[in-house]
Amino acid sequence: MNALEDLDVLELVDATGEYCGRLLAGVGMDVVKVEPPSGAPSRHEPPFGPDGTSLRFLADNVGKRSRVAVVDDDVRAACADADVLVHTLRPRDAKARGLDFATLTKLNPRLVVCAITPFGQSGPWCDYEADDLVLMALGGSMAACGYGLDDPPLAADGDQAWRTASTYAAIAILAALLCDAGGQLIDVSAHECSASMTEWHVMTYLCTGQPMARFSHPVIETADGRRVAALTPDFLGAHVFQRLREMLIAEGVAGPLADPDFDDSAYRAAHYGEVHRAIKRLAAAHTGDELWRLGQSAGLPWGVIRSPEEVLEDRHLRSRGHWAEFDGLPYPQAPYVASASPFTFAGPPPRLGPSGGDEGDQA
Amino acid sequence: MALDGVRVLDFTRLGFGSQATLILGCLGAEVIKIESTKHPDGVRIIPPLVPVDGAKGEGFGGGSLAAAEQLGSFNRGGTYFKYNTGGKRSITVDARTPEGHDVLEQLVARSDVVTESFAAGTMDRWGLGYERLRAIKPDIVYVSMCGFGHTGPDAACVTMGPTAQALTGHTAMVGLPGRPPAGWSFSYLDHVGGYLGAFAVLHALHHRRATGEGQHMDVSQLEPATALLGPALLDFAVNGRRYQPAGNRRGGAPQGAYRAAGEDKWVVISCATDEQWQGFVKAIGSPAWTDSTRFESLDSRVAHVGELDELVEEWTSTRDRYEVMDLLQSHGVPSGAVQDAADRLERDPQLAARGHFTRLRSSEVGELPLEGVPFHMSVTPPHAGGVIRRGPPDLGEDTYDVLREALGMTDRDIAELRDAGALA
Repeated sequence: MNALEDLDVLELVDATGEYCGRLLAGVGMDVVKVEPPSGAPSRHEPPFGPDGTSLRFLADNVGKRSRVAVVDDDVRAACADADVLVHTLRPRDAKARGLDFATLTKLNPRLVVCAITPFGQSGPWCDYEADDLVLMALGGSMAACGYGLDDPPLAADGDQAWRTASTYAAIAILAALLCDAGGQLIDVSAHECSASMTEWHVMTYLCTGQPMARFSHPVIETADGRRVAALTPDFLGAHVFQRLREMLIAEGVAGPLADPDFDDSAYRAAHYGEVHRAIKRLAAAHTGDELWRLGQSAGLPWGVIRSPEEVLEDRHLRSRGHWAEFDGLPYPQAPYVASASPFTFAGPPPRLGPSGGDEGDQA
Repeated sequence: MALDGVRVLDFTRLGFGSQATLILGCLGAEVIKIESTKHPDGVRIIPPLVPVDGAKGEGFGGGSLAAAEQLGSFNRGGTYFKYNTGGKRSITVDARTPEGHDVLEQLVARSDVVTESFAAGTMDRWGLGYERLRAIKPDIVYVSMCGFGHTGPDAACVTMGPTAQALTGHTAMVGLPGRPPAGWSFSYLDHVGGYLGAFAVLHALHHRRATGEGQHMDVSQLEPATALLGPALLDFAVNGRRYQPAGNRRGGAPQGAYRAAGEDKWVVISCATDEQWQGFVKAIGSPAWTDSTRFESLDSRVAHVGELDELVEEWTSTRDRYEVMDLLQSHGVPSGAVQDAADRLERDPQLAARGHFTRLRSSEVGELPLEGVPFHMSVTPPHAGGVIRRGPPDLGEDTYDVLREALGMTDRDIAELRDAGALA
């Protein structure tokens, strides 16, 4: 039995908030995408397949159903029977359309409304405009990423600020539904979400008086021109160093590291360049795929830098049943392996649904 | 609070797992963090240290048990530990003593959730694997969080954030065209894995409420990352197109980070539509160059983007980044200062107005601004200090209270456990 299948979620979102409903669909909630007759905005966003289908739409709408709402009265009528409404309306627009929380909670007091917006429901920047790039700038991750001070700060691609906001939104929705507190407004500011994903940056600034500079982690180039994140932090401890050394000796590239002086942690710290030189020799004799696995065989957290699409071939993810396939296309599915209630999508991304009462089936 | 009455026995450490239980604590769960003085959470003691006397900390490096002992404190590491442990209670138990092991089993019996982030198999070796937990508490929700998860051909592999980011394609998504990837300089996927760890706990609690059944949620650091790649996977599967890094370009122009006045200060401007471009032109006073046919449409602006970027930067480079942002925003143009941590704490009026940072006391180091969770709930508001409204815990500071409150122990019981070395 699926514990969440009786929960009805409506989503009235643009592309910035679709990832939330994707997560809720995966745990079995009935997520119905409410679209205008012309279709949700993401149906018209690139990249497109040869038949004009938006791949962006497909990626974030798997497992949902669709229905068309011609007028906002249709949306309000649907809200009267729903458990959750996720929307991406700015506060002024929600109010103007009669879809603000004060209006909706009168129609359905148990409705959980989750508003995912750039800056939240309040504050001096409440009505400011933002895309993911602006959110990554204001949130702080961009200031810390890039090649160094000669080049500009860089934002990660792929709408990571929006996706973080959507993820927090999904967490808050599951929590709200668990506590039986009835309806409430969940106010998710993507700016705040982006600001809270920079690890120890705030604490480091408090401790040192210096913000983190932007930098790039060193990587090692291998014989086949691949690059490997070959982390060899000394704090992993003497036993990890010992395994690394044994592996380097076995591979015939240890050089001075075979010297017993390197048993001493102070000596090792003073001559850590020898560790890097030995790993470079190792890299020159191996492919990227060989090198990261060699590091792992010594207990080191090494990984080859892959292009996103190479993830599709990963043997480990395949063996864990990570991918769903609909219409011959691969969709990332379960973010974790559950022993009793698996995270699965009931069907492919929906065709544009019918208007009126009946929700469309998946395509 | 939303998770009132939920008790989490929390064995997580470092970044990934601790982020998950931070979220649960902020939502109102009672999070009991298990450590020992012999094996404290590693990030408790990594510099930079929180200054206790007005002096600044010592910068990065080291972080060993010996260093902490020399310092005489487990509580001054000012790193990820402080970000991740607001609202948690801390107890020390030496699981290798029979008495300590028994204390942990008693706590399992009175908990709803057990979380951990050790390598696969570690909890089994301690005699606290899922089968044992379930024998003690049949409906326990057990959530493990480790690099590659507990099953699969590479389950023995280990990760840090940059490892997972490399293997899942995220490193490759930060970089300029024609250059090697720059990657993330921090562990974004520690956060993401933690978010999905918290999500998995909530998923399992829903399932338990409906069925009475507990379960094992096996969270890895890889699987939560793949859906964040967005359409890149389908673009390859459908069009055969491999991912190409594009720097800060997202199809618009001008679009990217531009130098502003001051040393290494930048401002992002992002014009994706004609309306935004027209707003930009008006905001900067419609200089003659904006009239050029080279900039008359989005396509032509993209085609001449190098030249356009130079002209835009000429304008931004003498102006304060916040003034640029406010001026452009008043004309409907998406724009934002590139902010670092100091900016967020001291200059961001939006975060201040939203109460993003909550100042909370930690027993040894005093008040710290904590971020908690970044969303607001009108009926069950989360709090960065959890139900106990407190900052990161000193090592073991709640041992006595937890044993009394959760297990009903007497002072004498607790003294005996201390004498047996079970609470070290």
